[in-house]
Formats: sequence, C-alpha cells, structure tokens
Amino acid sequence: MTPTSFDGLMPVVIFMGIAVVLFWGGHFASVLLAPSKPSHLKSTPYECGEQPVGSAWSMFNVRFYVVGLIFIIFDVESVLMFPVAAIFRELNDMGQGAYALIIFLSFISVLIEGIAYCWKKGDLDWVKSYQVSHKKRS
Amino acid sequence: MNQTVVSYLAQYEFFDSLLALFGGNQSLLAFVIFLVFAGAIVGMAATIGGLGTYAERKISADIQARLGPNRVGPYGILQFLADGVKMMTKEDVMPFTADKFLFYLAPMLALVGVFATLAVLPFSTGFTLSDMNVGIFYLIAISSLVGVSVFLGGYASNSKWSMLGGMRGASQIISYEIPVTISILAITLLAGGMGFGTISAHQRGLPTNWFVFHNPFAFVAFFVYFIGALAETNRAPFDLPEAESELVSGYHTEYTGMRFGFFALAEYIEVFVVCGVGAALFLGGSNLPVDLTFDILPLQLVQVVIFMTKALLLYYVVIWIRWTFPRLRVDQLMSICWKYLTPIAIFNLVGCAVWVVVFNGKSVAQLLMGSGH
Amino acid sequence: MFLQVLFLLSAALTIGCGIAVAVTRNLMHSCVFLLGTLIGIAGLYATLGADFVAVTQIMVYVGGIVILMLFAVMLTGGKDFVSRAQNLLGLAPSMGNKWTFALGGLVGVVFILTNIKLMMSVAGTLPVKTINNELPSTVSEIGHLLVKDHVLAFELSSVLLLGALVGAAIIARPRKQ
Repeated sequence: MTPTSFDGLMPVVIFMGIAVVLFWGGHFASVLLAPSKPSHLKSTPYECGEQPVGSAWSMFNVRFYVVGLIFIIFDVESVLMFPVAAIFRELNDMGQGAYALIIFLSFISVLIEGIAYCWKKGDLDWVKSYQVSHKKRS
Repeated sequence: MNQTVVSYLAQYEFFDSLLALFGGNQSLLAFVIFLVFAGAIVGMAATIGGLGTYAERKISADIQARLGPNRVGPYGILQFLADGVKMMTKEDVMPFTADKFLFYLAPMLALVGVFATLAVLPFSTGFTLSDMNVGIFYLIAISSLVGVSVFLGGYASNSKWSMLGGMRGASQIISYEIPVTISILAITLLAGGMGFGTISAHQRGLPTNWFVFHNPFAFVAFFVYFIGALAETNRAPFDLPEAESELVSGYHTEYTGMRFGFFALAEYIEVFVVCGVGAALFLGGSNLPVDLTFDILPLQLVQVVIFMTKALLLYYVVIWIRWTFPRLRVDQLMSICWKYLTPIAIFNLVGCAVWVVVFNGKSVAQLLMGSGH
Repeated sequence: MFLQVLFLLSAALTIGCGIAVAVTRNLMHSCVFLLGTLIGIAGLYATLGADFVAVTQIMVYVGGIVILMLFAVMLTGGKDFVSRAQNLLGLAPSMGNKWTFALGGLVGVVFILTNIKLMMSVAGTLPVKTINNELPSTVSEIGHLLVKDHVLAFELSSVLLLGALVGAAIIARPRKQ
C-alpha cells in the first residue's frame, strides 16, 4: 500500500508553514520578553552618528536593471535546457546521441553568441562601459 | 519515481499498524509523518545554523591565533544559545522612516525561501522528505526568494547603507545564479534526471563514481558551483552586500533583535543547504562506499551521517575561505561572474554533453579500468 | 484531500494578492503582492500535475521578473510612489469617459461569455482520472517533445532570446550625444 497523489508536495507546504509560524512565534516571544522604550533618536536610520539627510529611496543606477535583464534571459535559456539535459542520456542510450548533441550545441551556441556580444560591447563591465562611451564622445 | 519518506516507510510492516491507528486515513498519516520529519529537520537545521555561528567564531579564532568564545558551556559551545536568548530579549527598533509592512515581510520571506529548500535535500535514500522529479530545479527556483528578501530588507529599512547593500545583494545573487544553474545543468545531463534520487543513484559505490571525478569538465563544474554558491549565500570573499568596512552591515543594518536573528539564521541554513547540494550533486551524496542489496532502517541513519559529514566538511571549507581571502571589489565581483564563471560553466556543459556522447556516459575510472556497467 | 487544500491555498493566495496588487497604494507593495500571486499560480500548476511548469513559474517570475520589477521601480527613485494618494481604482475615473467605460464593459462581458462557452465544451472531457494517480513526470515528456516534435520552436526560442538580450543591452546603454 503506497500513498500516492501529490503527497510529494506536502513537505513544501509544511516547511513554508513552519517558517511562517517560527517567524511570528519568535516575533511574539520577543514582544513579550524584550523591553520597549521607544524614542525618536533611537529610531532614526543609522548614518554613522550623523543626522540622516533625505530619504534612502533615490534613483539607482541603470546597471542593476541591465544585470536583471541579462539574468532573466539566461534564466529562461537554462529553463529550456533543463528538460533536454534531463533526457540527454536517455536519447544517447537510444542511439540518438549525435542528433541530441547537435540540437543541444546549436542551442548553446546562440547563448554563447549572446554573451560574446554583450562582452564585446562592454555591457558586462560594471564600470568601464560608461567610461568607454565617455571617451568616444569627446 | 516520486518517492517520499512516507512511501519509503510504507514498505515496512509497522506502517500498516500506524495506518490503522489513523483510521486508514492516508493523507492524515502522511501529513503527520511529514510534520514529524520536517520538525526534526528544522530543529537540526536551526542547530546547525546556531553552531555555524559558533564554528565561525571558533575557527576564525583558530586561524587568527585567538581563543574565541570560551565562557558559555565547555569550550563555549553553548554560545549560540546565549546569543539566541540575547536576540530575543533585545529591544525591537524600527526606523521611523521604514516601510513597516516590508520590514516585517523581508526576514519572513528569507526564512520561507530557505526552509522550503530543505524539503528536497537528500539526507539519505529513504529519508529524503520528497524526492521530486524536478528536485534540483525546484531548489534553485525556490531559493531565489532569498534574493527578493535581501532586496526588500534593504529597501524597507530606508537607510542608505541598507539600500545599497540590498541592491548589491540582489544583483549579486541573481548574477551568480547563472553559473550555478549551468553547472547544475551539466550534472543533470550526466545523471539523466533532475531528481536527487536519480542523481545519487548514479554515484553509488566508490568515490570514483562521484560526479566530481566523472570527467574533467564535471571536476571544474564543481568548483564553479562552489564559488557561485559562496556568492549566492553572500559569504566572503563575496560578502559585498554586508561589507562591514563600507556598508556597516548591508541590508540588515537596521534590523535588531529577533528579526536580525531570523536573517542570520536563514543565511547560515542556506550555507548548509548549498553545501548539502554540493555534496549530493558532486560528492556522492549519502551513498555508502559499498553497494548493498538489502536495506534496513539503521542503514539509513548511517547514510544520514555520511551525507552530513560531507556537507559539514564543505561548510568548514566555506568558513575557512572566509577568513583566508580578502573581499572583492564590486566590479571584480561582476566580471568574475560574467566573464569567468559563466563562460567556464557553459564550456563545462558543452564538454559534458560531448563526453556523454563520445564515451557513452562512462566515467574516467570506468574507462581506465576498461569496464562499464 | 491534500490536493484540495493545496488548491484552496494557492487559489486564495492568487486571488487575494491579485486584488491587493490592484488596490494597494504603494507601488513597492504592489510588486510584493504580485510575488504572492505568482507563487499562487505556481501552486495551481502544481495541483494540475505540471511540476515542471510550476517550478519554471517560480524560477522565471519570482526569481527574475519580480526582482527586475523592483529594480525598475528603483530606477525611478522612490519618492513619488510612496506618497501617491490614489490607488489604481482611484485612478479609474481619469482614464476615460462614460463611453469608453461602457465599451470596455461590453468587451469584458463578451470575453467572459466566450470563455465560459469554450470551457463548457471541454469541461466534460477533462481527464479527471489522471489527477489522482502518482505525480506524473512531465519533465521527460517535455524534453522529448522539445527535441523531436518542436525542435524548430526550441531552436528559434534561443534566437528570440538572443534578440531580447541584444535589445536589452542596447536600450540600457548610455546614448552618445
């Protein structure tokens, strides 16, 4: 008699539930145990002893966004590659190894092309790309 | 295929009497068994996380020729309990400029993301809570919640240090996910499946069957994975998001008391998880060095010990690296990820694919001994 | 039993967070609620037995798109959206006059009716039987389909992604003036 029907997903939900319970349990324990003497000075954002100037929510450099964009594209590529990689050995055992290899390599070669392009154009540099374009301008 | 700890226990006789105890309600029994095991694993993971802080301080003291914590308990081993009590009794301070909702949510998300990865960690062949077909893929996906929580922690504090640390942390975590994922793809390719059960079944027997020794590409892939994992868990030398000398404490500068504790706990458990994944994928996981045909419950416990030994050895290496290497600069961090690790990882993937086709999936040892099974 | 619980949890998460996305006033909070919606959708996929699609949903949307959205919000600086007095529903009156709303409502009704009609025709033929079996492995099926039947789509998707990568890089590059 083997239990079936999606039981494999149960631990995921249980662990997430434990995490939430643990978090709020710890929170309420600290509410009960910890002292609470709020003051304005105590709850100013830490800025090494200086008076904080302005909000920290300011405009951030576009490079973070670029990293995010490049990440998503590689992420989707790896998602597409996972099922093919998972059956690669099976295909090889079925005698279709060369075919699978050609499919797989042609997919990866496009990926390499993408990273080579970004590398060449300086999009992978954290600082340099901005200096390079600055030089060209002058 | 989709084995769980419940379906493993179901092959023993006492399972039927347990089932009778629950009135034949399989779902309820499965829930209780999962709950018991999940509680045990969370307790163990929290202890490892706590002892991790102790080990960190003790090992760093060793490396720097100091004594380290030695007051609480023998050799100071109960230090982490004292720290926990202290965290719980600390006053809870929140900046008045903070985004209150996100300030609460961020450590909870970190905890949820890290705990959810524990569900598929293969402690032994039978005691894997859930051996999903998409095991390792699921683990990569759900651990990306930690990246979101790092960003939100930094954002919600509305402190400049936190904000910078959060932005850096999130971009670092997502960047290093690429080489790690591609290295894991290479192992998926060698094992012919994403489930931890499939992967560990391929590494049965002597260490020569481990994937790290399977072929030269997999050997390099292990190091790519390990370096990427260090960066993903914000460990030195990649601890830029919390670089003390420039960002005070990064994304958890404004966190105090219990919520800081949860961030730290999530971080230490995550280090354990990535070490466990490294052990399971590359270092043979929980396999015994000999191939046994029978299976009894004590044998599972031996497997758990083997798995934990491998994972904790990697954990030691992680701490060792932290106190040995200097921190990277942020542009070096990005160029290491995109210009070194990612191309090397892709090269390894191609190499593994070619290896599987050319040598019909045999490992180096099998080729040298001229036997393949 | 567990399946129903999982479905209810996922559906509640999806709908609740979906409503919260629309009505909350803070853009950052909207992004975070969207995270909940996307995780809920992953749970819905999981209840349908599509394990690979569910994990892909988490991997791409939670790990990638939401972080990208958060970064995109930070591009704008954070001052305006926090103090915004209206939520999305509050903005509705300024989005058109009564004719546009009437037309939109009509289109919505037609759309919903069409969907109901489509679903009614397939509802009877749903393979309910498979749901109570073992969690099926969709991975190898997807793999075989990608390599055999849809190999052209598989290869073309990499070209599409290359185009997206190049486009993203060009857009984000500082312009020469």
